[in-house]
Amino acid sequence: MEKSSRKIWEHPWGYVEGFIVASGVLLAGLMLQLTLGNIDKAAFGFPVNIIIGALFMVGLLSLHFFLRRKKVVRWLSGVSSTIPAISLLLAVIVIMGFTPQFSDHVSREQLPPTPLRGLGWYQMTTSWPFVLLCFYMLTILGLTTLRRTTKKKGWRDIGFYLNHVGLFLALLGGMLGSGDMKRYTMSVKEGSVEWRGTDQLGQVHELPIAIQLDTFMIEEYPPKLVIIDNQTGRILPADRPEAYMFEGVGKTTTLAGNQIEILDFMADAAIVRDSNIVNFVHMPMEGATSAIKVRVTHPSIGQPVEGWVSNGSYIYPYEVLYIDSTKSVAMPVQEVRKYTSKVTVYTKSGHVRKAEIEVNRPLSIENKVVYQYSYDETRGKYSQVSIFEIVTDPWLAVVYVGIFMLLAGALFMFIAGPRQEATPERCL
Amino acid sequence: MSWDSFIYFAIAAIILWSAGALTAFKGEKKTIPSLLTALGLAVFFVFILGLWVSLERPPLRTMGETRLWYSLFLPLAGLLTYRRWGYRWILSFTTLLSVVFIIVNITKPDIHNKVLMPALQSPWFAPHVIIYMFSYAILGAVTLIAIYYLVRESKISNKGRLMAMTDNLVYVGTALITMGMLMGAIWAKAAWGHYWSWDPKETWAAATWLGYLLYIHYRLRRKASNKTSMYILIIAFLMLQICWVGVNYLPSAQGRSVHTYTME
Repeated sequence: MEKSSRKIWEHPWGYVEGFIVASGVLLAGLMLQLTLGNIDKAAFGFPVNIIIGALFMVGLLSLHFFLRRKKVVRWLSGVSSTIPAISLLLAVIVIMGFTPQFSDHVSREQLPPTPLRGLGWYQMTTSWPFVLLCFYMLTILGLTTLRRTTKKKGWRDIGFYLNHVGLFLALLGGMLGSGDMKRYTMSVKEGSVEWRGTDQLGQVHELPIAIQLDTFMIEEYPPKLVIIDNQTGRILPADRPEAYMFEGVGKTTTLAGNQIEILDFMADAAIVRDSNIVNFVHMPMEGATSAIKVRVTHPSIGQPVEGWVSNGSYIYPYEVLYIDSTKSVAMPVQEVRKYTSKVTVYTKSGHVRKAEIEVNRPLSIENKVVYQYSYDETRGKYSQVSIFEIVTDPWLAVVYVGIFMLLAGALFMFIAGPRQEATPERCL
Repeated sequence: MSWDSFIYFAIAAIILWSAGALTAFKGEKKTIPSLLTALGLAVFFVFILGLWVSLERPPLRTMGETRLWYSLFLPLAGLLTYRRWGYRWILSFTTLLSVVFIIVNITKPDIHNKVLMPALQSPWFAPHVIIYMFSYAILGAVTLIAIYYLVRESKISNKGRLMAMTDNLVYVGTALITMGMLMGAIWAKAAWGHYWSWDPKETWAAATWLGYLLYIHYRLRRKASNKTSMYILIIAFLMLQICWVGVNYLPSAQGRSVHTYTME
């Protein structure tokens, strides 16, 4: 990469030394990984993360203020160390992209018993090589940023600081904060109050927040019709499945070559079975199902076929209409458009708040955020249970400052572009 | 406007873009090629708008829908580069790549319906995906330039100028993927409770981002080799492709990505 008469390890260091040092960091990580196993995030929660963060910052600042004239420190704040550090981190992330990843809550014994387990690759983000490389990159990032403060100032510095300080804060905040992030799911029945949450290990905790579920509502998309293969149950045509979303009575459509005419529709149908006759009657009640009456014509069948099709509910089984021995008309389960929980939230400190919580519209209260997480899927739109996720992340503010600085930095970069003329190497 | 009419709009747009690319090789004036390309863009965009109206949601959910935007943004990136830098071949490159994606969309059409999952119902949805698609188009154009450079290196007279153009495009493309990624992070916090979960798509997005950062930092050195720079761009674009399309096929991501919204 660099052709010069300089011998290896002779200053100024270049990319070769950079790759050796970064590989050393990786190797140290591997040794730690093989002896200690993956990092236990919980052990790095408050106050350990504060102490590590403070020591790291003190270390960076001392290197900068007392030793910045040392050649190694200069090298650590320039392109020669940056390129190898990014390359190796990138390599680790690519390995992570090719290896199935498991949650940190999966214990070592439950992971696939391959050599990759020992290397920590199945839980890369808590493995020593990954974390050490991240800290190595943070060190270079921090020192490079500090070093820039000693240089001649220019308008381009705005972009530099936004991008580099922003990334530094987002990365450091994200890494140190991960030990303090708490996530609990809470399942609440309509009309009742709940304050116990389940953590990711399945342990139940009493939380300083209580949720009363006043009402829970699900809106669905209109039902769809499909033609299925009676043998396999797969939607036809097999190479590109077709579906028709109900738009109103009287419409016609073609599905997999079959002419379908919509004769009738009930949003609340009860299915009444009388020996071998099946009747569909309108009945607005819990557990009622959607039903569509169709007439199917196809050149291969003599008489048109007519009848009701339904996707069922927790009370009724679904109902298909046989066209012939090979295929039928069926109605898949309707997709959910929106689900909303109307809640009253009580906190230990005495706050009471009424709110509507939806996916993408969480509720922030004190230092917690309450998310719409799920519902009783076996009962579908008749679910009386809403499941929430309650998240606390005390380091979020640090990460967000970083993210917004980076966003502004990206905007700067978009407008300003690269330096126009080739400039002397400023960070050797 | 339904998907069935796509082919007519696509053919009209391809004819206009090709005419723009051909006229760019003739004559000095940029007006006619620019007008033809812009007209093609308008035709193609009308189709996207029509699809948007008929689906009652932004057409950005399925892979086919994202390819649609990609096919639109490539000639746009080509046009902007052509206006700014005047390279005559750029329009034919971007048109060609756009045609490839249009053909994929015609031969392997997606299933389009009105369904938009609750997780996607957010003001971040359209900007997140559109910005990403625009940046992918610019970085796609950059990749074509890198290949052009590596194939014809000995015949290129003014390498400095070509490298300056490449740097410019990479800065714009990287700025945009940074914005797309961070908007995604803010959205993920509102939708899933965490801004970064190392979902397979996120992992490859991080890899792609680092790839382009590598290029930008490598180029800071005056002595940087042009060839190495171009190879970095090609590798970064491979990672971008894994991020965009590949995660749907990677064994490590099967059934694990929360970023999959294509359905049967």
